[in-house]
Amino acid sequence: MYFPQFIPYSFIEKEASHVEGFSPELALVTIGGGKELEEKLVVRPTSETIVNHMFTQWIHSYRDLPLKINQWVNVTRWEMRTKPFVRTLEFLWQEGHTGHATEEEAEEEALQMIEVYRKFAVEEAAIPVIVGRKSKLETFAGAVRTYTIEAMMGDRKALQAGTSHNLGQNFSRAFNTQFLDSQGEQQYIWQTSWAISTRMVGGIIMTHGDDMGLMLPPRLAPIQVVIIPIWKTDAEKETVLAAATSVHDQLKKEGVRTKVDASEQKTPGWKFNFWEMKGVPLRIEIGPRDVANKTVVVSRRDIPGKSGKMFGISMDPSQLHSFVIAKLQEVQDNLFNIAVSFRDSNIEDVSSFEDLKAAIAAGKWARGPWAGSDADEARIKEETGATIRCFPFEQPSHSGRCFMTQNAAKEVAIFAKSY
Amino acid sequence: MSSEANQEELQNGTRSTNKQGSKKPPKEKKETVPSGKEVKKETKLGMTVKKNENFGDWYSEVVVKSGMIEYYDVSGCYILRPWSYAIWEVLKDFFDAEIKKLGIQNSYFPLFVSEQALTKEKDHIEGFAPEVAWVTKSGNTELEVPIAIRPTSETVMYPVFAKWIRGHRDLPLRLNQWCNVVRWEFKHPTPFIRSREFLWQEGHTAFATKEEADEEVKIVLELYRKIYEEYLAVPVVKGIKSEVEKFAGGLYTTTVEAFIPNTGRGIQGATSHCLGQNFSKMFEIFFEDDKGERSLVWQNSWAFTTRVIGVMVMIHGDDKGLVLPPKVATVQVVIIPVPYKNVDFNQMLDACNEVSQKLESAGLRVKQDTRDNYPPGWKYSDWELKGVPLRIEIGPKDIENKQVRMVRRDNFEKEDVPLEKVAQRAADLLDEIQANLFKKAKEVRDLCIKKVFTWEDFIEALNDKKMVLAPWCDDVEVEEDVKARTKGDTGAAKTLCMPFEQPDLPDGTVCFASGKPAKRWALWGRSY
Repeated sequence: MYFPQFIPYSFIEKEASHVEGFSPELALVTIGGGKELEEKLVVRPTSETIVNHMFTQWIHSYRDLPLKINQWVNVTRWEMRTKPFVRTLEFLWQEGHTGHATEEEAEEEALQMIEVYRKFAVEEAAIPVIVGRKSKLETFAGAVRTYTIEAMMGDRKALQAGTSHNLGQNFSRAFNTQFLDSQGEQQYIWQTSWAISTRMVGGIIMTHGDDMGLMLPPRLAPIQVVIIPIWKTDAEKETVLAAATSVHDQLKKEGVRTKVDASEQKTPGWKFNFWEMKGVPLRIEIGPRDVANKTVVVSRRDIPGKSGKMFGISMDPSQLHSFVIAKLQEVQDNLFNIAVSFRDSNIEDVSSFEDLKAAIAAGKWARGPWAGSDADEARIKEETGATIRCFPFEQPSHSGRCFMTQNAAKEVAIFAKSY
Repeated sequence: MSSEANQEELQNGTRSTNKQGSKKPPKEKKETVPSGKEVKKETKLGMTVKKNENFGDWYSEVVVKSGMIEYYDVSGCYILRPWSYAIWEVLKDFFDAEIKKLGIQNSYFPLFVSEQALTKEKDHIEGFAPEVAWVTKSGNTELEVPIAIRPTSETVMYPVFAKWIRGHRDLPLRLNQWCNVVRWEFKHPTPFIRSREFLWQEGHTAFATKEEADEEVKIVLELYRKIYEEYLAVPVVKGIKSEVEKFAGGLYTTTVEAFIPNTGRGIQGATSHCLGQNFSKMFEIFFEDDKGERSLVWQNSWAFTTRVIGVMVMIHGDDKGLVLPPKVATVQVVIIPVPYKNVDFNQMLDACNEVSQKLESAGLRVKQDTRDNYPPGWKYSDWELKGVPLRIEIGPKDIENKQVRMVRRDNFEKEDVPLEKVAQRAADLLDEIQANLFKKAKEVRDLCIKKVFTWEDFIEALNDKKMVLAPWCDDVEVEEDVKARTKGDTGAAKTLCMPFEQPDLPDGTVCFASGKPAKRWALWGRSY
């Protein structure tokens, strides 16, 4: 569905911690059509407040629940320090908002959605993520619990790639969103919200990119295979172009996203660099000799140099298609595996604050048992720049002692500098 | 009430299947009037206003009660609920696929425009300036320079076009974006038709030659015609706008014009503009051609908005509520069991499931309404209000006779259909309904066009709530004069367009308004 972009300021003020959390970042419209507006309007930073305002009107009984809606929209947060995709003044996202009759259902929904995000990151974007729960300090302003997927970028900083919040009854109490349960009692609804944004594109760039430029996972690459015809004479040009077009059409028919770069102003070498920079996973080269042999040369973006080149690949449509599909999958898997090794080799298990400081200073992530207070957590941030990324769902079997306070700790937490 | 509901549940062993979050709670709702004031009044669930008696109120009522729109605390902004948003998605999917085939690519440009960029094209900003919303603060800090929210994106995109376009090989550049825009109007807001924020697509393209630009303008206009005529079953007239009415700053504007018979007002359906070189001059978008000479690019821009949904509602809706053309209806067929006390409800559910599966396999969009807390009669009204094209009723006799009863939303015709023919017949009926809706709408529309030669006849037709086809001298001053002379309660008359399909213009015909020689036929009317 679609909720309006403008939120009356009074809405935002209704949920105390929400307004506190977002207030400095709100873009306010005060003039419209040449006139000063009666009430200043906020350009949505997120839509919980409007959603609740409407949920209050739409939800009356348990039969109206669960109510689940989603919207794909732009949001605005007047950030101080911006970075393309990762932190921008305006960005695109989807935000889902659900209302439930019970706490259990809401919790289940929140967990279900973070799993959807995890699946996308891992299977489509080839980004390994750690799924976990945010610390109280890091939880969404107004939520009871925030779940997150945390990814490690090429510079080893953490990127929060998607979040799912169990809002409990915080917003429903602030907005009086109630329902008549099956026992005839008025109850506040239990809610969730969850979002993933264009920040994910930044994540893809920073996880896989290298010195040659972008490296796009085949599942998401707009162009999966670029075909470069190579010729010297006009006679060669005709046959080579015909072959290139034929290969393109065959692959396209089978659902491969492919493009022929037949422009005459650039040399093949230039084109190789260009499409590598654009991160296209596979390149097919066709020269006169290839045409004669009915073969093509296939190069992988993820393996540089000669090792990534495969010669004499049959031009026969079904053979080439199977080959291309197999290679695309290999690239996808390879990108993922490299990212996993990179990440795993850059997480250190720590058992003391000193260890943590060393790990963070070395640019790594630190993982250790944690039972510290909010103040302890804030101290770590102040002294090292690292924040708790999450308490991972995957926990070691044995508990330990908090590396900072030495109290008994039930869980390990992951600390890192982040975007 | 609650213990009653409980007992029903225990008896039937079923839970209310309200999973999709029915937008209509079984209670009276308070209505909010468009002016933003809250009017608490008890209303009945069905339509209370008749379309022909009070069209404005009828429209406000139907868009809310059918679950399409929710009024909002910011005047002129509306919430698009799933029932209407789904229609937008159908049209979006169609149009997006078509432009992709043409090689146009989607992109996303920022919402915010600096004042400097906004005022670059003088004519353009005069057109949009009064309607811009300005962000003046961030948090508690005043911004040094206020920032505008896009009313349309020419001024956002074209400075970047200037950067990207250097040589003829960079052309054509063809981009589109799906986004929201804001125009802070003070004219009477109307859901879908005129709102301060709305959704649209805006295509912006640049070419080396005027010919290429001209060609694309036509191709896109044809897509808009398809959206109206083939999807929404709304007849439109293709034409070119007058100099007064064309896009502020463009070269010429082509349009598809619809007409709302109830109000006797034309409505601009969608527009495809050739901007000429006006914007490329202002934004300095040059390219070097293959001879090494520097030229300005030729540009187009084209858009259609969520307004199209409003037009569809106005044309097809009736006193029972919405009437949705099957091609865009989220739910094309609703299956309603008609239980009897001595009949096994599970058997009814099985029968409904069976029919539902058959229809789904045939590719139809089906829903079963098996809610146990509403009687069939209530459901009939509810789904009629929502405009679902076809209703299938299954009662005990139907199960016995292995048949279903089908009821059309457009003409309420009923027929009994044997089970084995159910999918085919439903598909056929939906096609018939789609065709019938268009046919009826076109017949009505055609009756609303009056061809005249004189001023007197013009005024008479106008006051008779018609569109008027009149020979015109195509003069800006004459159009302004006609507007001034026809100022009325429903707005002045203006040219809606000069139709591409021109009737014969006999030699010596004079303009109906000025008496000067007529250049072409123009379609006039009051409009939204």
